[in-house]
Amino acid sequence: MAPAIEVAGLTKRFGETLAVDDLSFTVKPGRIVGFLGPNGAGKTTTLRILLGLVFPTSGTATVEGRAYVALDDPVHTVGAVLDGGMLHPGRSGRNHLRSLARASGVSDARVNELLELVALSAAADRRAGGYSLGMRQRLGLAAALLGDPRVLVLDEPANGLDPQGIRWLRDFLRSLAAEGRAVLVSSHVLAEVSQTADEVVVIAHGRSVAQAPLAELTARAGGGMRVAGPDAARLGELLRAEGAEVSGDGDRAILVRGRSGEEIGRVIAGGGIVISELAPIGSSLEEIFFELTGAEGGPS
Amino acid sequence: MSRALAAELFKLRTTRTSWGVMLGSLGLVVIISLIAALAGDFSSADRAPGTDLMEISGLVQIFALVLGILVVATEFRHGTITPSLLAVPDRARLVMAKLIASLVAGALLGLVASAVCAAIVLPLLSSRNIATGTDTSDVLKLIAGNTAAAALYAAIGVGLGALLRNQVGAIIGALGWIFLIEPLLTLIPGFEDVITRWFPTGAANALAGTANSSDALDQVPAGLVLAVYAAIFVAAGLFVLRDRDVSA
Repeated sequence: MAPAIEVAGLTKRFGETLAVDDLSFTVKPGRIVGFLGPNGAGKTTTLRILLGLVFPTSGTATVEGRAYVALDDPVHTVGAVLDGGMLHPGRSGRNHLRSLARASGVSDARVNELLELVALSAAADRRAGGYSLGMRQRLGLAAALLGDPRVLVLDEPANGLDPQGIRWLRDFLRSLAAEGRAVLVSSHVLAEVSQTADEVVVIAHGRSVAQAPLAELTARAGGGMRVAGPDAARLGELLRAEGAEVSGDGDRAILVRGRSGEEIGRVIAGGGIVISELAPIGSSLEEIFFELTGAEGGPS
Repeated sequence: MSRALAAELFKLRTTRTSWGVMLGSLGLVVIISLIAALAGDFSSADRAPGTDLMEISGLVQIFALVLGILVVATEFRHGTITPSLLAVPDRARLVMAKLIASLVAGALLGLVASAVCAAIVLPLLSSRNIATGTDTSDVLKLIAGNTAAAALYAAIGVGLGALLRNQVGAIIGALGWIFLIEPLLTLIPGFEDVITRWFPTGAANALAGTANSSDALDQVPAGLVLAVYAAIFVAAGLFVLRDRDVSA
C-alpha cells in the first residue's frame, strides 16, 4: 500500500536559514507517528510544505502519492490542525466551520455533529474572538475532521488543552488510527506523544535524527542497572531465573531491567557473587530526546 | 468553483465588518441624499439637479474598494488564509472565487445605493417643485453606471489586497491614491484630461455618469478602462500570491 504521507529529501531554505534539511520519512495508514523536535526544528515548516502552503526548495512531500494541491478532494483526504488562531475574531465558530464546509461540499449537519464531538456546541454561536486557546484548538480539530479524512496532520494539537483535554485527544487519535487512518502529530514535548504514537520521527535543525518505533526508542531509553564483574554471567542466570530482564553479551557485564539496585544487591549477597560495578545507566525518554535533538534543558 | 464561491459569499455575510462597510455606506448615502434634496439650493443654471444629486450614491464606490481589499487582506490579517487554502488549495481558484464574490457584493452595493438615492432625491425635488431635469433613461443609466463602477472598484480592491496582503496598508494606499495623488496630479498642466479619461477615478466617474468634464469618456469605454485596471490588479495579485509561502 502507498504510504499515507511520504516526505522525501525535503529541503526548505528561508534566505540564509536552512529550515528543513534533506528530511525523509513516511507514515503508513493506521499508524500514529509522532513528529518531534524542539521549537524551531522545522516541524511546522515541514507540515506546511506537506499541505501546499509553503513551497519546498527541493524534495517532495506527498499525501497518498500526490502533492496536496493536486489532490482531487483535499478536505476528504487530509485533515489538518495547524497552530495559531486562524479564526476571524468577528465570525462565530459555527460560521467558521460552515464557510469551510461550503468550500468543500460538506453539509451543515456535519458541522453540527463535529461541534458536538469537540464539545463546542454551546459556544458555537459566539464570536470566535472570545474563545480560549483550548476552544480554538478544538474548533481547529473539528475543521480538520469536516471531510472525514483518511489522513490527519496535527501541529502541536495539545497546546492550550488542559490535562483532561490532552487525555481526550490521545484517546481520540487512537480511535482514529484504529479506524485505519494515518495520523502525523507534531510536538516539542515527547511525553505528549509517548503514550499515543506508534513511532516517532525526531528532528533537530531541520534534519532527522531518529526515526523508529516508539518501543525501540523506549528500549534505548529504558534505563536499567549495569552490573560488571567476574561473576556477572552467573548473576545474570540467577536474576533471569527469578524473572528479571537481563541482557548484555559479554560475560563480564550484564544489563538488568526491572530490578532496583538494592534488589540486585540482595541477589549478589545471597549468591556470594563478586562484582566490580553496579550502576544505573540509560536515561528517561526526555533525556534521550534532549540528547538526540541537542536541545538544552532551558526554556525554549 | 461554485463551492469556493459559495464559501466566499458566506464569509462576506458572516462578519460585522462587511455588514458595517455596506450598511454604513448606504446610511451615508441616505443621510446625504435627504439633506441635499430637502435643503439644497439649486440655481436656475442647474439644468439637471436630479442627476447631480444622484452623484451622491457614487460614494459607495470607495466603500466597495475597501470591501474588496478586506475580502483578501482580512484572511492574511487573521491567518484564516491557512484554512481557506486547505479547503481550496488552488490559489487561482480561491482568488477567482473572491473576485466574483466581491464583484457581486460591489454591484449589489452600487445598485442599492443608486436605487435608494434615486428614490429619495427625485420625489423630494419634485415635491419642492424643482424640475429634476432627469428622465427615466437618465436614471437607469446612472444606476447601471454606479453598479458597474462599484463592482469594478471591489475587483480592484481584491487585486490590491492580494498584492499587498496588509489590510491597513492597502486601504491607506488606495484612499491616498484617490484623495491625494490623483488630485495632485491634476495640477500638472495639460495632465488633467489624461486623468479624467484614463485614470481609475476619472474612468469610474465617467462610468457612473457623474463626470463633470466634457473630456470624459462615454460610459461603455470608461467601463472598459476601469475593467482593464481591475484585470491588471487582480493578475498582479495572483502572480504575487501564486508562489508565496503562507507561513501564518
